[in-house]
Amino acid sequence: MRLRAAGVLPRAAAWAIDFVLRMAVIWVFSILLVLLGDLGLALYLILLFALFWLYPVLFEVLNDGQTPGKRALGLRVVNANGTPVGWVPSIVRNLMRTVDMLPLFYGFGLVAGLIDRNSRRFGDMVADTLVVHLDNPHGHSSAPDVPAVQSPLSLPAADQGAIVAFAERARQLTPERQQELANLLQPLTQARGAVAVQRLLGMASSFLGRQ
Amino acid sequence: MKQDLFQARHEPEWKAFESWLVGRARPSAKRRALDADGLFSDLDFPAAYRRICQHLALAQRRGYSVLLIDRLQDLVHRGHIVLYRPQPPSWHAAVHFFAADFPRLVRQHWRAMGIAALLFFGSFIGVIVALQFRPELAHSLFDAADLARFEAMYDPSNADAKLGRESGSDVKMFGFYILNNVSIGFRTIAAGFFACIGSVYVLLFNGLFLGGVAGHLTAIGYGGPFWRFVAGHSAPELLAIVISGGAGLQLGMALIAPGRRSRARAFVEAGIDMAKLALGIFAMLVFAAFVEAFWSSIGWMPDVVKFSVGGLLWVLILLWLWRGGRGALHAP
Repeated sequence: MRLRAAGVLPRAAAWAIDFVLRMAVIWVFSILLVLLGDLGLALYLILLFALFWLYPVLFEVLNDGQTPGKRALGLRVVNANGTPVGWVPSIVRNLMRTVDMLPLFYGFGLVAGLIDRNSRRFGDMVADTLVVHLDNPHGHSSAPDVPAVQSPLSLPAADQGAIVAFAERARQLTPERQQELANLLQPLTQARGAVAVQRLLGMASSFLGRQ
Repeated sequence: MKQDLFQARHEPEWKAFESWLVGRARPSAKRRALDADGLFSDLDFPAAYRRICQHLALAQRRGYSVLLIDRLQDLVHRGHIVLYRPQPPSWHAAVHFFAADFPRLVRQHWRAMGIAALLFFGSFIGVIVALQFRPELAHSLFDAADLARFEAMYDPSNADAKLGRESGSDVKMFGFYILNNVSIGFRTIAAGFFACIGSVYVLLFNGLFLGGVAGHLTAIGYGGPFWRFVAGHSAPELLAIVISGGAGLQLGMALIAPGRRSRARAFVEAGIDMAKLALGIFAMLVFAAFVEAFWSSIGWMPDVVKFSVGGLLWVLILLWLWRGGRGALHAP
C-alpha cells in the first residue's frame, strides 16, 4: 500500500480552511444565540468549546479521517499502518495540538513537520498517525492522448510507471527537455529527438490501456 | 499468464468487489445494485479482500500494466479502509469505560498520580497554612486589585448575592466553566509532553493560586461563604486537575525514562493512556461544572447540607477511583 505523506503547506492550507469555517459558524451562531440571553451565551461558550476541541476529532473519526479543510485539499488522517484513524489516536493528536501550537502559530508543529521525513507534527508522532494525500483523483488523464505504441520489450511495473509519469508531466516540460529525457531511452525507442518523445508517449498510452 | 486472460478471468470478481464498496457507502445504491450479478454478502467481504490483495501481488510480480496495478491498488486501498475502520462507539463500551477502565487506568499510573497529588495538594495546603500565620504573604502572591476582587466575591456582609461569582446566571456560568475548566484540564495533560515540566508548572501554579485564595479569605474571616461555595464541586474539580497533571507526568516520563523502548514507541504507548485519561477527565470536569454552576452558587442552603454533600462527593469519587473495575473481568 502506498501512502504519500502530505507536506506542511497543504496541511496549513487545510487548517486555514477549517479555521475560516469555524469562524463562520461562530459568527452565525453568535448572532442567533445573542437573542436567547443567558442561555444563548451558555450555548455559545459550549459551541466554542466544541469547535475547538471536538470538531477535529469528530470529523476525523466519523468522516474517514477528513475535516472539511482536509477534504478540500484531498488530505486524510490515517494511522501509520494506513488503517483509518480511530477515537484514541484522533484524541491524542488533537490534544497534542496545544503543544504544536506553541510558542506561536504552530511553531513547534512547523519545526517538527519540516524536520520529520513524513512531515509529522508532535501530535502525529505521539498518536502514530500520518496525514496523507488521497490518491490522485484525476487518474492518469493528464497524460496526452496519443495513439498507443507497443513497447518492444516487456518492462517491469516500476519502469512502466516512470514512462507514464514522464507522459503525465510532459506538458509542463519544454520540448527541448522532453527530447533530452527521451534521448536517454534510445535503446528502447530506437530513435532520437521528437520521434523518441512521440514513441515514449505512445508507450505510455499503451501502458495505460488506451488503443 | 497473459494480462488479457488474467483480466478476463477476474474482472467479474473486481466488479462485484467495487459495487459492494459503493453499496456500502451509499445504501440506496446498494438496493439498486442488489440485482446485479456477483454482489456478495458482507460476510464474504474479508475473503474477497484477501483475493484482491493476492491479485495485486500477482499483477505487480508479473509486470502487468500500470493501469491494472493502479486499479487493483485502488480497490485494495478502499477495501483496507473498510476492513480496518474503527468500531462505532457503543453505550455498553462507554459505561464499561467509566465504571471500570478509567479508575483502573488511574490506579495503573499510581506513581504519576501520587506525585501529581503531592505537588498540587502539597502546595495548596501549604499555602493555606502559611497564610494563617503570615497573612501578609498574600500580597506577594496576588496584587491588590486581585485581592479586592476575591474579597468582593465572598464578602459575608453581602448575603443575598450569589456565591462565588461577580455576575452572570447559573446557566451562563455553566457554559463558561465547561469552556474554561475543560480546556485547562486538556492543556495540563498535553503540557506534560515537555519532560513533565508543563504539568508540574500547572499543578504548582494551581495549587498556589487556589490555596492562596482559600488561605487569604480564611485569614481575613471571609472563609464562610468561600468554603460554602467550593465544598460542592471541590472533589470532582480538584481530583480532575490532579489526574490531568498525572496524565501529563506519565506522558513526560516517556521522554525522560522510556525504559526498554524507543522514545517514539514510549510516546505512542503513553499517548494511548493519555487519551483515555482525557476522556475521564472530560466527564469529571463537566460534572464539576454542573455542580459549580447549579449547586455551589445557591446561597440560602444550610451549611450542614452544603458540607455534607461536598464530603459525600469526595468519598464517592475516591471510592470510585479506588474500587472501580476491581475484581471485574476484562470485557471482551
